[in-house]
Amino acid sequence: MSDSEILLKAKSLSKRFGGLTAVDDVSFEVTRLGVTSIIGPNGAGKSTLFNLLSGTFMADSGLVELDGQNITRMSPEGRLSSGMARSFQITNLFFDLSVIDNLRIATQALEPRSNLFLPLRKSTVAINRANELLEEFGLLECRDQFAGALSHGQQRRLEIAVTLATRPKLLLLDEPTQGMSQGDTQDTAELIKRLGSKITVLLIEHDVDLVMDLSKMVIVMAQGKKLAEGMPSDVRANPLVQTAYFGEELA
Amino acid sequence: MHNPQVKAIRLIEIFLLFSALALFVIGSFLGDTFFLRLATESLIFGGLAMSVDLLLGIVGLLSLGQALYFGFGAYLSALVLKEISPSFFLAIGVVTLSSIVLGWVASFIALRSKGVYFALITFGLAQVAAKVVYNTRSLGASDGMMGVPVLQIWTPFGFVDAGQPGAFFLITMLTIGALYAVLKYFLTTPMGSIWHAIRSNENRLAYVGYKAKGPKQVAFILAAVVAAVSGALYPMLRGFVSPELMFFSVSGNAVVTVVLGGVGTLIGPILGSVLLTSFKSIIGTWTVHHHIVIGLIFVVVVVSAPKGIAGLLAKYFGKTNSGKGGE
Repeated sequence: MSDSEILLKAKSLSKRFGGLTAVDDVSFEVTRLGVTSIIGPNGAGKSTLFNLLSGTFMADSGLVELDGQNITRMSPEGRLSSGMARSFQITNLFFDLSVIDNLRIATQALEPRSNLFLPLRKSTVAINRANELLEEFGLLECRDQFAGALSHGQQRRLEIAVTLATRPKLLLLDEPTQGMSQGDTQDTAELIKRLGSKITVLLIEHDVDLVMDLSKMVIVMAQGKKLAEGMPSDVRANPLVQTAYFGEELA
Repeated sequence: MHNPQVKAIRLIEIFLLFSALALFVIGSFLGDTFFLRLATESLIFGGLAMSVDLLLGIVGLLSLGQALYFGFGAYLSALVLKEISPSFFLAIGVVTLSSIVLGWVASFIALRSKGVYFALITFGLAQVAAKVVYNTRSLGASDGMMGVPVLQIWTPFGFVDAGQPGAFFLITMLTIGALYAVLKYFLTTPMGSIWHAIRSNENRLAYVGYKAKGPKQVAFILAAVVAAVSGALYPMLRGFVSPELMFFSVSGNAVVTVVLGGVGTLIGPILGSVLLTSFKSIIGTWTVHHHIVIGLIFVVVVVSAPKGIAGLLAKYFGKTNSGKGGE
């Protein structure tokens, strides 16, 4: 695999909370385009790993590289300008602001900083991008509603739209279908598939069937360690994974 | 306009502007002093309340020590007018520039913390400043500074005598109006959107590309300037300054004013200040225990209309809107 094909590289990442090693010497690579997924039982360290990748926590040891650039110690806003954006497992929006304001604040990073003190209408790139996302994610009819007043499914869509605002190279999605109805889950799966054809998506997901269907590559975690990695079919057949994830009775 | 709050704000703006002009015309015609000076004072304290609202209602930071900047502006203005030159514009200019520096320095101390700790630090800073002023003989110590000269203020229409209640009311109205316009302008910029975002969900901000610290600092400095410039008008009206201007009662009063008028509306606090100052004066003529009455009014407002008068109006507009089938 040539280096230019690798977008994200994690090398021996570790994070301890007191006596608990939440992420233990995890290394993996994410190649350009398509969906790569991280699965694992509850408490496997998936979310902590995500937080290390996105800069919410700093790793105790190890290295994170985005497109060849070392971002291990970079702040979340720095990572965003390097082309990485993330969503949150628990919907995390500006709830008492309108949908369009949520998007406009997110797209503002596309504008030069000098526009911060000029009237909003001068930030045309940001406004156009926000309107584009509004349409793309079917949020036109709730443009002026408070984000907190949307349905759960709409909020999850808005969450993804917000993370896409700055046209990132790499999108980290933390359980985007969490708490969604069957229908909404299917729609979101379609959406992630479409996104994967344009940008690189790294996905944490509980719904194994969904992951197997979407991903080109699956990384399995258990108890803070990487257990297995490979194509969905290989991972599904791996007896170690079956024990850890799909249940004892299959082993 | 889709937003009932925008309507409420517009209505309060128009109401205040027309009542101010009416008061000016009628007051000047009848040769009134009392009501014009009372209204001037309420606008000055309204400016202070507006600065509290910028931090509390827009950015979500509760400042319990905004009187520090108000008192700083008042003392500095008195000093400039007494010691250097009795010039309105010199005093306002000096106070503006110095309060930018003061706000900038204080922001590094206050913005290290969030929530209740921010409130306590701002409170502490103001208490320290008040004690220092209270014990500094060259600033008049507990007596304050008296004998600020009556100004002759230059305007394009000739010099205006600030000793004339109507004239100075107008000057104060223009000054506070200008501060309001500046704050309104900021709210139409992306910086204003980021302030709202900080209030709404500060932790999310980093993931849309901004550190919260810088925008908070801008708001903090701006609030210091608004409070200080409002304070600078005080000695021009009263002819003296006293350390009480920096006491907690002034900061606390400003917060009460904001809550009464409507948090996050900027114009609500001005209306709140007009009402509170009038109440105090009217109830004060009946009883010396006017604080009890005002306390009761405050409790009733907080319980029945937690978003203040502006909130009540917005609620009303929201209802009439949804009656027409709107959102």
